[in-house]
Amino acid sequence: MVSVTIDGHEIQVPEGTNVLEAAKKAGITIPHYCYHPALSVVGQCRVCMVEIDGAPKLATACSTQVRDGMNISTNSERATEARQAVLEFLLANHPLDCPVCDQAGECYLQDYAFDFGLDTTHMVEEKRTYPERERRMLGPHVIQNQNRCIHCTRCIRFTREISETHDLTMKARGNHQYIDTFNGEPYDNPWSACAADVCPVGALTVKEFRFRARVWRLEETRSICPGCSIGCNIMIGHRNGVVYRFMPRENAEINGWWMCDHGRFLAEDLNARDIDRPLIRSGGQLAPATWSDALEELARIIGAGTDARVIASANLSNEALYLAKKLFAEKLGLKMLVPVETGPGRSIKNAHKEWIRSEDPHPNATGARLIGLNVGDASRLQDFLITSSGPVVILDAGAHPLLASQDIIQAIKNQPIVAMANAHTPMTRAADLVFPVASWLEAEGTYTSSTGRVQLAERGAHPSDEAKAAWDILTLMARALGADPGPVTRPQQIFEELAAEVPAFAGMTYRRLSNEPGVPVLEEVAHVG
Amino acid sequence: MEPILLRAEHETNSKALTTSLKLGGYSALKKALIMNPEDIREEVKKSGLRGRGGAGFPTGVKWGFVPQDLPKPKYLICNADESEPGTFKDRKLIHTDPHMLIEGIIISSYAINAHTAYIYIRGEFYEEVQILEQAIAEAYKKHYLGKNILKTGYDLDVYVHRGAGAYICGEETALMESIEGKRGQPRLKPPFPAVVGLFGCPTVINNVETLACVPHIIERGADWFASIGRPRNTGPKLFCVSGHVNRPGVYELPLSVTYREIIEKHCGGVRDGKKLKGFIPGGSSAPVLPASAIDIKADFDSVAEAGSMFGSGALIVLDETTDMVWLLENLLTFYTHESCGQCTPCREGGNWALEIVRRIRRGYGRPEDLETLERISQFASRGMTLCPLGDAFCGPITGVLTHFRGEFEQAIAKAKPLPKKKLPALPVRSGRGTFGM
Repeated sequence: MVSVTIDGHEIQVPEGTNVLEAAKKAGITIPHYCYHPALSVVGQCRVCMVEIDGAPKLATACSTQVRDGMNISTNSERATEARQAVLEFLLANHPLDCPVCDQAGECYLQDYAFDFGLDTTHMVEEKRTYPERERRMLGPHVIQNQNRCIHCTRCIRFTREISETHDLTMKARGNHQYIDTFNGEPYDNPWSACAADVCPVGALTVKEFRFRARVWRLEETRSICPGCSIGCNIMIGHRNGVVYRFMPRENAEINGWWMCDHGRFLAEDLNARDIDRPLIRSGGQLAPATWSDALEELARIIGAGTDARVIASANLSNEALYLAKKLFAEKLGLKMLVPVETGPGRSIKNAHKEWIRSEDPHPNATGARLIGLNVGDASRLQDFLITSSGPVVILDAGAHPLLASQDIIQAIKNQPIVAMANAHTPMTRAADLVFPVASWLEAEGTYTSSTGRVQLAERGAHPSDEAKAAWDILTLMARALGADPGPVTRPQQIFEELAAEVPAFAGMTYRRLSNEPGVPVLEEVAHVG
Repeated sequence: MEPILLRAEHETNSKALTTSLKLGGYSALKKALIMNPEDIREEVKKSGLRGRGGAGFPTGVKWGFVPQDLPKPKYLICNADESEPGTFKDRKLIHTDPHMLIEGIIISSYAINAHTAYIYIRGEFYEEVQILEQAIAEAYKKHYLGKNILKTGYDLDVYVHRGAGAYICGEETALMESIEGKRGQPRLKPPFPAVVGLFGCPTVINNVETLACVPHIIERGADWFASIGRPRNTGPKLFCVSGHVNRPGVYELPLSVTYREIIEKHCGGVRDGKKLKGFIPGGSSAPVLPASAIDIKADFDSVAEAGSMFGSGALIVLDETTDMVWLLENLLTFYTHESCGQCTPCREGGNWALEIVRRIRRGYGRPEDLETLERISQFASRGMTLCPLGDAFCGPITGVLTHFRGEFEQAIAKAKPLPKKKLPALPVRSGRGTFGM
């Protein structure tokens, strides 16, 4: 540890820390554009200039490592003037089209110009423009407006150092240089939209989110990506229950600062709701019903002592899976299966530049195994469904693609089918009783990633209409089936019980899960998976 | 002064190895290879030789920065990129005596324990590449290069690497990027090339003229070399004189002669008997000096004292007909075109300054423009940029605004108010560089 003084605050930081990070630790913002903690230091935007005692010239905070006893000033007259000048340079050719720019509100040029820049400019010349690159699809997801670019090269370094796809490069030079792909090919890689995330200005924006919402009007909810078992940490941007985007949320151990395009663009799927109240089949048609009628119907179907089978889902939270196991397997003695499939390989790089890969498309298959549920693939699911003639309870209509297959539906359509879903699938249309379940945004829950990290996805909105969270529905089901789970009002209570009973979750609490960014690792995973 | 670096200037077939041997070429090499590398470094340090590329950094000191205990290979690079406008001495040297340069490269490589040397030469120097290739082939044949040089057990290979004509590739780290096959852009320093240079290995990079001085220091001793010029500014120097003089060209003179002597005695005075208006003492990035500075000494320290830069010793003479606003526009056009675009103050500031000067020339100057130009040159130089190219375009600005401000003020006083619409296109003046802008 070395001791440095920044603007009069003395702090201790590890050796090798750069001045910019040290200042961050002291709560002092040094503006920066080209510097990004995940990327190599290039020191080229020149806006992080600080004055260091004893040095004849100003130094860039990003590329200067702290030395013991260093006395750094970020707000001396020299440093302030230099910063103002660099910001003026950066704004000299910037179009200042903030009112129509989608980055406004989360634009570092805007923020730093307000906080550190001059009120006005000395520039009266015509601005440099790139008429052919003002509104251009750089690839399937990323739109380029080169006029706004400040040439920080973060996006280029992202494709070189993180995605390792080397797609982007700087073409031409000097004041006329611009970002482009090699050979003009479309910019397309599995993490392409992250280039827009690292872009500090509105030069690269994401097509899917562009012009859909002003960022300052979005609510943000800390969540987990539902796209696969890696469990990338995300921030859901939503408003009035409508989901607008997923953004990666920093987690050094899992996804670093990144997420893949597959996961990111699942955001839109969260808005696909067409089941908003319980449905009961009467006279061959599914008709809306009240919750009490629906639960009575459930009791009629299951309560008759038939050999009902329950299909859970590796997409459900630990809490829902635990409740389902307790109710259906333990109290009612029904057979249960968690169907899983092998998906396309996904990968993400963590902050230590290690790749995490997964072919498991379910966010919680690991949790299902740890809770002790029966996990099986497509052929087991088929056997499980076809070998009996009793009712089928499907806790998540989207648990497995086989559940949407017409062959399976034909095979079981004469048996009573109970399903939980928020949007219709072929299976829900064939069902006799459908419960409206809350979306990913509308329910709180914990999920266990393939690397054994239990993570909390927070709730961002109340379930719409009469939908309820899966754990809530399972609690109601339990009561309706005469297996009272006690006074459960929050998923936290279920998790506490789970943590007390399942050894793998011992010692975990919601508080720990939401406070510790490096979420706990489960030793047991190694021999469970 | 007897010619030293240009001793072969008037020889017929001066490029040939036989001519070089006749004039004493490679005798310093024989002497050097039985010396201790450390003693060579010491001798060069003692000679006071300062880098002839522009920065004037003591060569022996630079060599001393190379960590000799690292297990990595070491490299020597000869910088023959010679891209500063006004400079053409390296070209002259290669044309006159390529073997002197090769001998210098071998001795210098030996002094820093390098076994590979590169000559990075600008792409436009096609003829010079051929001269060097020819000379290197001759040297290999005579065992001055290759394995076991002159049976001393020392190995050295020399490669000629052609650049593609970018000014920035004369900057040492951009040059290394270019040799490595990357986009020629300066690197962030530290680490400095002496420790992390070419291919991540310790590297010394010296100018052609610097390396050509080395054999003479070894041959005739540091004291002899230091006796030329004056303390801290020692040795012979090639002055490239261009512009409004009667006899432009390359002149070999001791450091610390006066500019009056160069212009009046050697170059035959200002052309057509016109009056001297000013001169640029060290390549076009050096701030211009007024005619009144003609009696200062042409060396690193005197020119720095006078507020300019000795640079590569390229003297550009300007007579009374020179339009200083045009001069600044011309220079800024070059530097803006050659900015690599990496760092903000140079990329944005250079172009901004150029646009202002163009506007003033078009007759739309504003009184506050000069302050803006000064502001740009203040914040795009002295450590504000990643490499010295920022200083390079700010030098001309500060020079003309210090000594010829009146011309700008006059142009602005006659100016029309700024039109609301687009400015009319600037009439192209013949002779103005077209740099594709």
